[in-house]
Amino acid sequence: MPKVDLTIEICGMSGDGTIAAGGLLNAAMARAGLSVMAFDSYPAEIRGFGRCVTRARIGDEEMLALHDKTHVLVSLDDEQSFSRIPFLADDAMVLFDNRPPSMVSEGRSLAAHVEPGISLIGIPFGDLAAQAASTKRGRNIVALGGVAAIFSLPPDYFREVIRKKFKAKGEAVLEGNLRSFDAGYEYTLENYRQRVTDTLAHMENMEDPGRILQSGNVAIAHAALDADVKLYFGYPITPATPIMEYLAKALPEKGGRVVQMEDEISSIGAVLGSFFAGTRAMTATAGPGFALMTELITHGVMAEIPAVIINAQRGGPATGLPTKTEQSDLQAAVFGGPGDSARIVLAPTSVKECYAYTMKSFQLAEKYQTPVIVLTDFFLNNRVETMAMPHASEEEKRDGNIYPAAGSKESYHRFAVTESGISPRAIPGMEGFIFTTTGLEHSEKGAPNYTPENHNAMNAKRHRKIDSAMTDLPEPQEFEAEEGGLDVGVIAWGSTFGAALEAVHKARNKGKKAGALKITAIYPFHEDPIRAFMGKCKEILIPELNYEGQLANLIGHLHAKDVIRMNQTTGLPIYPREIYEKIMEIG
Amino acid sequence: MAEKHFVVIGSGPAGNQAAFTLRENAPEARITVISKGRESSCVPSLLPDFIAGKIDEQGLLVCQVGSYKASGIKLRCSQEVVDLNIQAKELILAHKEIVPFDGLIIAVGGMPRIPERLQVFQDVMFTLKTLEDANFWIDRLKKVESVMMIGGDLTSLAVTKTLISLNKKVYFILNEDAFWPLRSNEELFAAVATRLAERGVDVLVGRNVKSLQRLAGGEIQVQVDNQYITVGMVGAFFGLVPEIRFLARSGLRIDRGVLVDEYLCTGVEGIYATGDCAQIYHPEISDYWISLGHENARTLGHVAALNLVHGDKQLEVKPQSIFEVQGINVNTSWWTEF
Repeated sequence: MPKVDLTIEICGMSGDGTIAAGGLLNAAMARAGLSVMAFDSYPAEIRGFGRCVTRARIGDEEMLALHDKTHVLVSLDDEQSFSRIPFLADDAMVLFDNRPPSMVSEGRSLAAHVEPGISLIGIPFGDLAAQAASTKRGRNIVALGGVAAIFSLPPDYFREVIRKKFKAKGEAVLEGNLRSFDAGYEYTLENYRQRVTDTLAHMENMEDPGRILQSGNVAIAHAALDADVKLYFGYPITPATPIMEYLAKALPEKGGRVVQMEDEISSIGAVLGSFFAGTRAMTATAGPGFALMTELITHGVMAEIPAVIINAQRGGPATGLPTKTEQSDLQAAVFGGPGDSARIVLAPTSVKECYAYTMKSFQLAEKYQTPVIVLTDFFLNNRVETMAMPHASEEEKRDGNIYPAAGSKESYHRFAVTESGISPRAIPGMEGFIFTTTGLEHSEKGAPNYTPENHNAMNAKRHRKIDSAMTDLPEPQEFEAEEGGLDVGVIAWGSTFGAALEAVHKARNKGKKAGALKITAIYPFHEDPIRAFMGKCKEILIPELNYEGQLANLIGHLHAKDVIRMNQTTGLPIYPREIYEKIMEIG
Repeated sequence: MAEKHFVVIGSGPAGNQAAFTLRENAPEARITVISKGRESSCVPSLLPDFIAGKIDEQGLLVCQVGSYKASGIKLRCSQEVVDLNIQAKELILAHKEIVPFDGLIIAVGGMPRIPERLQVFQDVMFTLKTLEDANFWIDRLKKVESVMMIGGDLTSLAVTKTLISLNKKVYFILNEDAFWPLRSNEELFAAVATRLAERGVDVLVGRNVKSLQRLAGGEIQVQVDNQYITVGMVGAFFGLVPEIRFLARSGLRIDRGVLVDEYLCTGVEGIYATGDCAQIYHPEISDYWISLGHENARTLGHVAALNLVHGDKQLEVKPQSIFEVQGINVNTSWWTEF
């Protein structure tokens, strides 16, 4: 089978159906058996203006990251697409509407800006849609017909996903969209037969691979459902809102509830209250909302109440860049809030891990009686990946609480100082187990107590508890780190890891001795394996989407010499090419 | 004063030369070349060598794309001009973009000609003008053992030579369509037929194609008078016709090409035509002539550009031999009649 690795981008004005077209494209490619990683970016404003871009990398192998070079640009709005031209590969194709509603002056068409070598495919998107369905609204679907034709991808895959998407909207809408697709497909074949490639022709008659396309947000919501979460409390904020939207539909079907709270403070308060009462709950937010939650998160630390909080990072500080990606809440997640408030912070690196670590966070929160923060980012939350339907075992789903022994009622100390720091937790209503809970420093019984000895002992207990959680946290994972030494070791976290690993593979293909380390337990972190990896490397490179190098600040001291920081705050994902070039530059 | 905008339509040998001559003589001007092709055009006479694998794609190009950029010439590829407004001095592109200009050189060249009676069969015939055409030839030749050549123009004999070198069986129909727009020349035909036959080509002199039909296996069945010949592919070589339909409503004077004076000016100030698409006035014979061939096109492009900037360069009229194959010289450079 020929190797396929294409990046296709659809760009339009908000309201053009850009994101919808991207969704159909991804679904059709996935149905054809191809791997897809796709990411949408859109304006912070609700609707009516601003650029929408959906980018999909499509291939026959699993995708680790998006690429910065686009092979196919579909322009639904030329004015919006101008800025995408620098990202085109030298031999890219550009599909654009060659019959705009009116004449345009020189330079106002995308055609005026593309470099020679780029193949311009003019398709009258609007006119064909109007002919096919009496409305130009289907111009995005016409464009998909063009994409299918150019790559010889059998059109039935598109027809299948169009049927799925539009069947609920009635026969007229469905048929109009099918005709729009066919119009684009046939026009392209007829007018650009010489440009048609057979890149995807071999995908004909593929069995449905049964894989799903899932975003990080949906994977998180999916995990919450599988973990038998009963309550979700939240306040809408980009990019976390889709989690609430998904659960608002799905949770009631399982007997649960989604409650939109008045703000993020009340959201985390309600989550703590729910867990305190013994019911699994969750909230999801982004940086500004997380900042509001910090005091109550530390309340959870002090009162030893479980909580699960998704922090979907976006550009900051403050309101920042609501629809751009960044990894700049690491320090806030690990250290944010008053006092010595150690908590558990996990950072998945893929959509699959969004599911796995959200699932894991409930048991961790219950067992270690502390808030667990799952630190994702816009790129991870919003991107979709093809994957097998995620699944957790019964063991992974089970209640993580450590309850007091039935015979310990008389001597029950809710905050007993133990070697592991874990004190068996009684749930209110458990007969005979009486205790006080407060955000004040307290004794083993839970009564306020500010004596120096008690505060020292309780602080030590709470930190011992977090340290003991290490045994349940995922260890750092080495890639390509063979014995004998590496010139460059790349340590990455979150959505940046995939790009780092792909860059390492490429560098190795060029003869560079490079390896990678994935860290998903951000706090507490496994010092020894990190040190061991660092010990194999002459230089350590830590690429991050933040200005300060927040992971480097956290673990950099473990290396014998200064780590090399690669900090980027463009609001865009980091690309394998950028990390690769940095690796090649080192040593 | 605002910078002048000179536009050249076509990036073949004539258009390319015109653009670079403009750059040399009008260093401050904005220069745009608009081309239907995907990249800089290729030299058509080199296409047979490309098919034979003797040269690569870059070697085919009239000019490397980077040279345009380095010279500050904007090259707009895959774009088609559909109308010219000589009063407003504006071009309309197919995608409804209006491009204003101060000076214009029309150098669109020609497109493969198919005689009217054969146009119904054009889907089963291969032409050869562009790189894309050449790639189709290469792909198809991998699958076939025999080729029927119909017509006969400057390129066809070189293609035949390539086919022979690739061990293909070649049929060649040589009739009054050959060497269009040259007049039939029995002596020339006989010499060509002899040379082809000596090379193992099956030459069908004076025969006519009645029909072509694609068979189930992909082969083409050609009816030549009352005889049926099955071949792997059919190549059509009937010369080139100027691609000037977009000028039909412009008001420029058009015959088979764009009529220009000996300075290559269309009669409209600032608008010139050059290369294969120009029909040039010859003061000595008081008639129009055309030129064929790569080198002539470059000369014409150069002259048109000089005249657009300075307006005083009369074309030199001097016969040149541009075509030599298998020992036969065909003088077509300064052909003076249709």
